[in-house]
Amino acid sequence: MKESREARNGRRASRAKPARNVLREGLRLERVPDPSVVVLFGATGDLAHRKVIPALYHLWRTNLLPHEFRLVAIGRRPYDDDTFRAEILASLERYSRVLPLDLDAWESFAPRIDYHRLDFDDTAGFEKLASALDAYDAEHGTPGNRLYYLAAQPSQFAELIAQLGRAGLDHERHEGGWRRVVIEKPFGHDLDSARRLNREVGKVFRESQVYRIDHYLGKETVRNLLVFRFGNGIFEPLWNRRYVDHIQITVAESIGIESRGAFYEQTGASRDVLQNHLLQLVSLVAMEPPATFEANALRDEKVKVLRAISTDPANDVVRGQYGPGWVAATQVPGYRAEDGVDPASETETFVAAKFTIDDWRWSGVPFYVRTGKRLPKRATEIAIQYREVPHRLFEDEGVTPDANLLAIRIQPDEGIMLRFGAKVPGLGLDVRSVTMDFAYGSAFNVDSPDAYETLILDALQGDASLFTRVDEVEEAWGIVDPIIDTWATASAPRFPNYDAGSWGPDAADALLEREGHRWRRI
Amino acid sequence: MAPDLRPMETPTETHIHIGEPILRWSARAQSIAEIESEISGMWSAHHPQDGADDGSVRNIAARTSVMNLVVVASGPELAERSAATIQALTGRHPSRTVVIQSADPDGPSWLDARIEAHCVLPHPDAAETCAETIHVRSGGEAGRHLSAIATPLIIHDLPVTVWWPGEPALTGPAAKRLLAGADRLVVDGSTWRSDGLDRLRQMAELQEASSLAISDFALDRQSRWREAIASIFDDPEFLPFLRSIRRIAVTFATHDETGAPGSTNLVKPIYHVGWLASRLGLSVVRPLTAVGGAARASRANVGKPISGPGLGATLSDGRREVAIVIRPIVSPMAAGTTLRVELLAERRGSELRADVTAEAETVRCRVWLDGVEALDRRFRAPRRGDVDLLADAIESGRRDPVAAGALRSAAALVAPGGPGGSAPP
Repeated sequence: MKESREARNGRRASRAKPARNVLREGLRLERVPDPSVVVLFGATGDLAHRKVIPALYHLWRTNLLPHEFRLVAIGRRPYDDDTFRAEILASLERYSRVLPLDLDAWESFAPRIDYHRLDFDDTAGFEKLASALDAYDAEHGTPGNRLYYLAAQPSQFAELIAQLGRAGLDHERHEGGWRRVVIEKPFGHDLDSARRLNREVGKVFRESQVYRIDHYLGKETVRNLLVFRFGNGIFEPLWNRRYVDHIQITVAESIGIESRGAFYEQTGASRDVLQNHLLQLVSLVAMEPPATFEANALRDEKVKVLRAISTDPANDVVRGQYGPGWVAATQVPGYRAEDGVDPASETETFVAAKFTIDDWRWSGVPFYVRTGKRLPKRATEIAIQYREVPHRLFEDEGVTPDANLLAIRIQPDEGIMLRFGAKVPGLGLDVRSVTMDFAYGSAFNVDSPDAYETLILDALQGDASLFTRVDEVEEAWGIVDPIIDTWATASAPRFPNYDAGSWGPDAADALLEREGHRWRRI
Repeated sequence: MAPDLRPMETPTETHIHIGEPILRWSARAQSIAEIESEISGMWSAHHPQDGADDGSVRNIAARTSVMNLVVVASGPELAERSAATIQALTGRHPSRTVVIQSADPDGPSWLDARIEAHCVLPHPDAAETCAETIHVRSGGEAGRHLSAIATPLIIHDLPVTVWWPGEPALTGPAAKRLLAGADRLVVDGSTWRSDGLDRLRQMAELQEASSLAISDFALDRQSRWREAIASIFDDPEFLPFLRSIRRIAVTFATHDETGAPGSTNLVKPIYHVGWLASRLGLSVVRPLTAVGGAARASRANVGKPISGPGLGATLSDGRREVAIVIRPIVSPMAAGTTLRVELLAERRGSELRADVTAEAETVRCRVWLDGVEALDRRFRAPRRGDVDLLADAIESGRRDPVAAGALRSAAALVAPGGPGGSAPP
C-alpha cells in the first residue's frame, strides 16, 4: 500500500510542471525566435524564389523574425551577394503575396542575405561553410542557432545531410545553439527509399531536429480543422460512424505539370499528392482528440489513423491520365504531349481511392479521396456527408430533403459550409436544401499568412506540431506502396482516359456509384 | 426633412484596386428611421453588387460579418481624426462603423447623418466585401443620449466595440448605458489630461463591475517592451530569477522640470509595473507615493542616479517585498513615454540585472549576471501606430486576461486621489 502510494507520489512528482515564463502569457508569439541563421540549400531554385524567401521576407516585414536573423543562401551559381539580392528582389516583386513591396522592409532585410557558392559534393566546401557560419555567429550575434532548409532536388537530400554531418554542422552545443533541418517533400519515392532516407537523416540528426515539411499542414483552413473539431462542442459528437455516411476529400488542380515533366514522370499523382497531402488530410479528419496540443501528442493520433487505413488496390483505386481538352476557356495538350513526358507514358495524373479506417469511430464509413491534374478548377475540399434521417417524414409530400453536408473548403475561398433542409415559404410543404456559409475572407477580412510563413516560423521556434514525423511518412508509404506495386503488375488502363477539363475518368465515378454515392459537384 | 443626397447612381471610381476600399454608396439622413431605411435600401433595391463600374462582371458583394464599431468623438477634429484612422484600416474594416459626434448640447435636438458603403476586393477571384460607415452629428438633448443613437444602428448578433478617443466620460449615465451594450471599450490612456490616473482607476472599476473587455492603446503600444522583457526569461539560465525580482524601475520622459504632480501623464509607466505585478502575482503593500530623493539612497538602485522627483511603491509576492520606482527624466521625447525599464532580481546569492530600452525601430535588452554581461540583444519592433492598434482591438475576441490583469494591478498601485493628489477630470 505504502509502496503504491510512494509510486503514485513519485509519478506525480515526476510530472510536476517545469517552471514557465509567465511573462509570455498573452503575447503575440509563444516565444520570439532565437537569433538564428537560416541556411538555405537550393537558394537559386524555384521553390526558394517562389515560396521560402518570400515567406522569410513577410516574416521579417511583420517583425516576426529576430533582429539578429541572417539568411545564408547556398547555390552553385557564381553569384555575389548583390547579384543574388537583385534576383531575390525581382522574385519578390513577382511572387510576394502583398504588393507593392514594402521597400523599407526590403532595405533592412536585404543586408541580412548573403550568398555562398557551394557544390553539394564538395566536402571541403562544407568545412569552409562551417567556418563561415562560426564567423557569422561571432559577427552577428547568432549563437549557433541554425535552420538548414533543404530546398534542393530530393535526390540530393541524402548527400546534403551526409555533408552536414561530415562538417559537424549538426552538432548542437551544450551552451545553446540549436541545429534543425527542414526537409521538403517528397520524402522518398516508395517505402524502401523513404526508410533509406530516414536512416541517412537519422545517422546525422536526431528526430527532434528534423522538420519534414508538407505545406498543406500550414494552411490556415487545415489548422482551423483542428480548432473546428476540437474547439467546438457541437461537431465532435456527430463526427463518427453513427452519423457520417461517407467522407470525400478532393485535391483538384486545373494546371498541368507545367515545366516539371521529367519530375512528374517519376512521381505521378499517387506520390505527388496522395502519399502526403491527401493522407495528411485523411488523418486530420479521422484522428481522435489528442490529449494536448503538443507536437508528439498530435502526431501520435495521426499515426494511429494511418495504421488503421486499409484499401483494396485492385478494386478500390482508380488511376487516370489526361488527354487534350479545354480548361478555363483555353485549349491544353494531353499529358503525353507535355515537355519532358514519354509519348507512351503510363504515369497517372489522376488517382481516386476508397479507404476504410478500421477503428471504433470509423468502421464502415468510406473515405473517398481524389486528386488530379487538369481538372476543371483548382479546389481542395473535405466534405462530410451525413446519413439520411432515419424516418422520411416528408416523403409523402413528394419531397426528400438532401442529407446534411458539411464542406470544409481549403482552397480557394477558404471557409466552411453546412447544408440543411428548409421549408420553402408558401402554403405547400416544399423542402429545399439551403446552406449556412462561413467564409474566412468576409468573417475576418484579414489576409492569412502563407503556409510557408507559418511553418518556417514554427521551425524557428522549435514547434514540430505541423511537420511530419518519421513514422507518419513510413505509414503513409505503407498505404501507397501496395497501390503502386499492384499497378506495376497489372496492365494500365487505356491512357489517356479523361479529357483535360473533366473531373477524371468514368471509373472514378463508378467507384462511388457502386455503393450508391457520387462525387460532389464542386 | 428628406435626405439631400440620394444613393450614388454610379460609383465614384472606375478602376478597381485590389485591397483598396472604394466608395460604392452614399446617402444622407436626418433621423434614425431614415438611416435604417437608407441602409435597408442599400442592401436590397440598389445592391452594391449591381454591375461593376467598368462594365465588367464583378464577384458578388457581401457585407462583412466581423463586428460593429461605435466611435464617440467629442468634437469635429477628433471625429475627423478617427474617421481617417478607420479609413486607413484597409481591408480590416468593421462591418458597420457608427461615428457619433455631439454638438451644441444646450440647443434644440437635431440629428444629421451621412451613410457610406465602402467595398473591397481582397483578391481578383474573391467576392467583394463591403462595410458601412454612418457619421452621426447630433445636437441638443438628443446628442446626450449616445445609447439611443448607437443601439438601433448596430448590426445584431455581431460584437460591439466602442472606441472613445480623447477623454472618455466613463462614469456618466450616458456612458454607462452605451457601454452596457458593448463588448469592448477602446481608449488611449496616454492622451488623458493630468497624470491620467483617476481615469485609470475609473476604468478598472468599470472592468470589475462588468464583462466589458478593455483595450487601451497606452498598454497595447507597450507590447514590444513586453515581448522583449519576456524574452529575457525564455533563457533557462535566467528563468529562475523571474520569481525573485526585488526591484522594478521605470524611467519616463517629462517636459516639466519641476516634476509637479499631474504635470505628466503616468499611465504608460504605471502599466509596465501593472503588467509585471499581475503576471508575477504581486500585491500592493504600499501604493505609489512621491518619494523625492528616497529612492536615490536605495541599495537596489542599479547604480543609476534618479533625476528629479519620482514615485515609489512596495509590492509583495507574499514572502518578500518588491520595490517599485517610477522616475521622470526631462527629455525631448513625448511626455509620459517610457525610456527604460530596469529589473533587479536576487537568488541564492546571485544577482540579475536587466535593462530594457527602446528606439524607434528596435528594443534592446541587456542582462548582467553578478555584474558580468550575459545578454545584449536587440529586437526589431517598430512603434505601433493607431491604425494597427485599432485593427488589433477590433479583431480581439473576449477579454484578454493579461490586459485585464495589468489594468487591475496598475489601478491598485494608485491610491484614490493619485500619488500626487491629482485632480479628478
